[in-house]
Amino acid sequence: MSAGWNIGRLTLLMESLVAKDLKVRYKRSILGFAWFLLKPLFSMVVYYFVFTRILRFGGAIPHFSLFLLTGLLPWNFFSSSLSATSSSLLDNHRLIRSIYFPRMALPAAEVAANLVHLLLALLVLEVLLITFGHNPGLSIVLILPALILLTMMTVGIGMILSVGNVFYRDVKQFIEILLLAWFYSSPIIYPLDSIGVDIIQSQRLMMILKFNPISGFMEIMHSIFYLGTWPRLWCWISLGSWSIIFLLAGMAIFRKAESVVVKEL
Amino acid sequence: MSGGIRMKNVTLYYRLYHDRAVTLRETMLNLFNRKTRIENFMALDDVSFNIEPGESVAIIGSNGAGKSTTLKILAGIYIPTSGTADSTGRIASLLDLGVGFHPDLTGEENLMLNGALLGLGRNDMKKLVPEIADFAQLERFMDTPVKYYSSGMFMRLGFSLATAVDPDILLIDEVLAVGDVGFQNRCYERIWDFRQKGKTIIFVSHDLDAVSKLCERAIWLHEGRIEMDGDADSVLSAYLETSQKKYISTTATPKEWGSREIWFDSVILRNADGTPSRTFRRGERIVIDTLIKSRLPSGVDNVVFGFSIHRPDGETVIGSNNLEMNQPLLKFQGSVSSRIEIDLDIAEPGTYLLGLALTDPEASRDYHWQEFFYPIALIEERKDPPLRLSEAIWIQE
Repeated sequence: MSAGWNIGRLTLLMESLVAKDLKVRYKRSILGFAWFLLKPLFSMVVYYFVFTRILRFGGAIPHFSLFLLTGLLPWNFFSSSLSATSSSLLDNHRLIRSIYFPRMALPAAEVAANLVHLLLALLVLEVLLITFGHNPGLSIVLILPALILLTMMTVGIGMILSVGNVFYRDVKQFIEILLLAWFYSSPIIYPLDSIGVDIIQSQRLMMILKFNPISGFMEIMHSIFYLGTWPRLWCWISLGSWSIIFLLAGMAIFRKAESVVVKEL
Repeated sequence: MSGGIRMKNVTLYYRLYHDRAVTLRETMLNLFNRKTRIENFMALDDVSFNIEPGESVAIIGSNGAGKSTTLKILAGIYIPTSGTADSTGRIASLLDLGVGFHPDLTGEENLMLNGALLGLGRNDMKKLVPEIADFAQLERFMDTPVKYYSSGMFMRLGFSLATAVDPDILLIDEVLAVGDVGFQNRCYERIWDFRQKGKTIIFVSHDLDAVSKLCERAIWLHEGRIEMDGDADSVLSAYLETSQKKYISTTATPKEWGSREIWFDSVILRNADGTPSRTFRRGERIVIDTLIKSRLPSGVDNVVFGFSIHRPDGETVIGSNNLEMNQPLLKFQGSVSSRIEIDLDIAEPGTYLLGLALTDPEASRDYHWQEFFYPIALIEERKDPPLRLSEAIWIQE
C-alpha cells in the first residue's frame, strides 16, 4: 500500500521477474535458448516446402526461406507472449492474494521475457540475411520504434487475456484457435505490398488484410530486414494506432477488473 | 510517527457463485435457463476502527467472520467495495509465507526476487540478505534451490524475509506455527521485539493464549461486523462465553442432567477482584459464584458440590468436591449462595471446560450436573523480566 512504488522500483520488479522467467525456463534444458530459434526454424522448413513445392507461390519470392523467417520470428514472439500472459494471473494466484504489488507487472513481464528472446533471435536473423546477401539499409534503426510499438500492443492484448482467463478458462483455449486464424490472415508466409511481389491480386482483400493489427509490423519487418528499404507509411499508421488502442484498452480493463479479479482467483 | 491505521465504514462484497459456470459454454447455457445464481456475500459490513501507532491489536472471531479479509484490506490486496482504509508507514504482511519463492531458484535468488516484489531497492535487499539468512539459520543453503529445502526451512526463510524489511506495521495471520519449537520461539521473540520498538501489530489468531500474550487490545468480528472492540482481556472473556456453544460443538458437547430438585440457578465466574471473567492468568484465583435453589420442602444437608475441569476434547483433568476435600457440605433451605475458590497450578495454558455438580452420594441422588459447561481460558502472561537472579556465587579454591 505504502511501499512507495515508483518507476525505479517498478523497473527492478520487471527486471527481476524477467530474470526469473529466463532462469527458470532454461534450467535443466540442454538446448536452452536455442528452442526459441528452433521452433520458427522448423516451421520455416515446413512452410518452405509447402509453398515452393506444393502451392508454388513462394517461388516468386527470392530466398523465400529467409523471407519466412523474417515474419516467423516476431510471430513466435507474439503468439508465445499471448499464451503466456493469458495464464499469468492464475499461475500466481497465491502470490497475488498474499502481498500487494503492481499486478500489471505479471503479464508485462511475460511479454518482456519473450522480447529478450526476440532480440537475440533477430541478431541471428540479421547474420543469416547478410550471409545471403540481404544487406540492411539505414532503415534498420526503425526496428527500435517498431519493436516498442509491437510490445505495447502485445502487453495490451495480454492484459485483457490475463483478466479474461480468470473469469473464463476458455480464454486460453480460444486464443490458441484465434492465433491459428490470425497467423494465416497476417503477411507472414506471403507479403502484402512491402517487397514488390504481388501475391494478393484483389485490392479489396488487400485493404481488409491491412486492417489486421499485426500486418503493419510484419510488413515493416519485411521492408527493414528482408529488403533493406524504408517501410511504407500505412504500416506505421496501422501499427501505431493499434498499439495505442490495445495498450490503453488493456490497461483500462485491467485496472477496472483488478479489484474483482483478486477476489475471484 | 507512522504506523497508524484508519478503517472507515469499510464494506466488502465477495461474489459467491452457486453452481458456478467455469466455461463459456456453461455460461451461455445458463444465460437461458439461469442456473447460476450469483450472490453478493458481504464479508465485511460497515467496519470502522482506528489503530494508533504502536498498538498491538488482535482480531478474533470464528471462521468466516472477516478476519483475514480485514488483513487483506490493510495489506492493500483487496480494495473495499465502499469505505476507506488508510495506513501510514511500511507494511509487512505475514499472510502466507514464502509464496513468492520459485522452487528452481536458490535461496538468495528468491530473496532478491521477493525484495523486488516487496518494492525494495536492489542495494537495500543485498544488505538484508545475510541478515535474513542468519536469522533463518540457512547461511549454508543460500545457493541451493529452495525445492531442496525442507518445509521448515522454506517457512523459516519466508518468515525471516517478511520481517526483515523493518516495517512500521506488521500484519500476522496465524502463521506462527513455523518450523521447530526453537525457531517458533525466535519468531515470537522477533514479533515481541517489534512490539517493544513501538511498531503496530495486527494479529489474527485462534490461539487465544498467544493473543493474550501479545496484544493489549482485541477486536472481535462476527459475520463481518465488529461485535466488540476493547482491551484484550474483556474481549477475550466475552468471546469465549458467546462462542461456547459453537466452540464446544466440535469437541465435547455441554451436558446437563439431574433430578433438578436442587439446581444451579445462576453461575458466574469471576477473577480474584470479583470481575466476571473467563480468562485467568497463571496464579490467578478462579472464583465460581453460584446461587443454588432447592424445591425440596424440607431443608437439605449433605449436599456435595463438585467441580471438574476438562480438556476441550472431554478428557478430565481435575475434579473434586467438598466431601473429598473435607470441607463443609451444603446445608440450606430454599436457596443459598455458595462459592468455590480455586487456585490452580497451570502447567499447560489453553482452553478448558469447567463443569459443576450437585449430588448427594449417601442418598445416591444426582440433583444437577453441568458437564463441559463453562469454557475458560487459562493463559500465561509474558513475564518481564523473564528471568530473575536468585543467587550467584563466586568461589575461589
